[in-house]
Amino acid sequence: MSGRRGPRPTGERLRRLLVILPWLLERGEASLSEMSQRFEVSESELVKDLELAAMCGLPPFVDELVDLYIDEGRVYAGVQRLFTRPLRLTAPEGFALLAAARVAMQLPGADGDGALARALAKLAAALGDDAVVVDTPQPPATAAVADAAAKCERLRVCYWSPAADRRTEREITPRRVFVDGGAWYVIADDHLSEQSRTYRIDRIESWEPTGIIDSTRAVAVPKIDTWFEDAELPIARIRVPASETWVAERYPTRSVTAVADGWELVVSIASESWLQQLLLRLGARSQVVEPAGWIDLGPRTARALLVRYDAGTHAGS
Amino acid sequence: MVDALERVTNLVALLMATRVPLTLEQIAGELHEQYPEGVAAMRGAFERDKALLREIGVPLETEVLGGSDAGRTAYRIDRARYELADLALAPDEQAALQLAVAAARLADAQFGLLKLGGDRGSLPVVVANIPELEALPALREAAAARAEISFGYHGSSRRLEPYALLLRQRYWYVIGHDIDRNDVRTYRVDRIEGSPVIGKAGSFRRPDGFDPRSVFPSDPKLIGEEPSARADVLVDVSRADVVVRELGDDAVQQRRGDGSVVVAVPCANEEAFRSWLFGLGLHAEVLSPPELRASVVAWLRALAGAA
Repeated sequence: MSGRRGPRPTGERLRRLLVILPWLLERGEASLSEMSQRFEVSESELVKDLELAAMCGLPPFVDELVDLYIDEGRVYAGVQRLFTRPLRLTAPEGFALLAAARVAMQLPGADGDGALARALAKLAAALGDDAVVVDTPQPPATAAVADAAAKCERLRVCYWSPAADRRTEREITPRRVFVDGGAWYVIADDHLSEQSRTYRIDRIESWEPTGIIDSTRAVAVPKIDTWFEDAELPIARIRVPASETWVAERYPTRSVTAVADGWELVVSIASESWLQQLLLRLGARSQVVEPAGWIDLGPRTARALLVRYDAGTHAGS
Repeated sequence: MVDALERVTNLVALLMATRVPLTLEQIAGELHEQYPEGVAAMRGAFERDKALLREIGVPLETEVLGGSDAGRTAYRIDRARYELADLALAPDEQAALQLAVAAARLADAQFGLLKLGGDRGSLPVVVANIPELEALPALREAAAARAEISFGYHGSSRRLEPYALLLRQRYWYVIGHDIDRNDVRTYRVDRIEGSPVIGKAGSFRRPDGFDPRSVFPSDPKLIGEEPSARADVLVDVSRADVVVRELGDDAVQQRRGDGSVVVAVPCANEEAFRSWLFGLGLHAEVLSPPELRASVVAWLRALAGAA
């Protein structure tokens, strides 16, 4: 969680230990390499913490807290009286599990009465109540695109690009589907440009399977709100009045700096037509500072649109 | 000096094993030489340990003693509250949850899954980016426990009986009964100022079958005075399909020979309406009502003259 202070190193070690001990007890023995992988901790750190735990004890209250020994890469655990169950879920863990399950219920292929729904019901019961609702409607193409990604199958799609303001027919091999900020995206191999591209699924207007199966290829998914920055997009500096801070919330800004009476935003510009839309929304009180070519883009766009209104074109244009 | 991990592990064990709550002096006596000498240093170290245990979620019970120990605080850990309840997840349920957690990629969910005995799955084909905010876990607990919350919002203080959290578009909302306004209200969680204060559990009832989606305006253009207000907007052929798909066929007022369409669009919230309209760039024109058209023209004239 952004801004949240993580547990201090000792806390992190104890948090992990309180999960490891019951897990180990239930199995009796496990290899260090398996545990290292599962609990995401190096073998040397694991050995250090386990050896320390083996030394713990408070006679006469608790003689030998944890009965375990390590031999040739394996850990053996004996009887223990405490730490037989993991520590309960914390508020952040409970919330994150519910949110993950709720979001997954809205992913393509989710079955409303299936295993996930049953798991969610049990989780909600254990956590008092659910109280988390996720509303992420899928555009029509989502299921087909996700299905193609799972099979590495090429799709023939008609895609409307707002940046270029035109439709193109292209063949794509979907690799990964993700939802971010309420919009669905697919990272795909585009066979028109021979590049990996990210498409918004709601702009895929038609699609059909080609039957061509491509080889698998792993692609990473960018973390929230940063993926826009990965693209090599031009930037613009825009001054906005203090009242218009919503711009910084709604659009991926690279930086926000306080200036007299407002803010200076550095924004990645997907296309000139996208910037035109933004400037129309911002209105007269905002101003492009850089680059020079876009300084009068807002007024020019407003004049172009006014031509429509002044002509009274609504009889049909 | 012992490793801090050894001391806190022993502390947890001691407080779990004890039948009666123990005072700091008793704890320090049991944990021979693991706490520094001197009352101030010992208390400082113990306070840090307590904070650490709370941070990782160990429930610490405190009790103020009476009798000859009057005023002293004693501590223990209730094992029933400490231990994770067995969810009794069937293998397919466990696998489904694992997939959900892998798709969400939230560190707290991954750790929670480890506690539940699940495994880290590999990254699935479909993944989700879920916005995280520090206040969300506490707000969820408050809603689940039916505890009243209070928080600052736009500079004023609100008291809310939280019914649910809703993730919609890129924002989390908390929805509930606003006590001072005596109405169901929706607040954006990322706009809450500071940490919300959580009141006593069980302080209200949530209406049966409450669904936040039903009270949340489905369209931001609907947040306003007169929800029934509609504007007629002419949309060029290049955007017609996209707009009709967004608004539904019911919104279509007229289809013209050149492929353009006239659609009815909620306009009670003029700012939200304008934002939607200008998202169509040069490809849309508001036809009516006349006041709205005049207002859009005035907005454009101001911008046109601003160079």
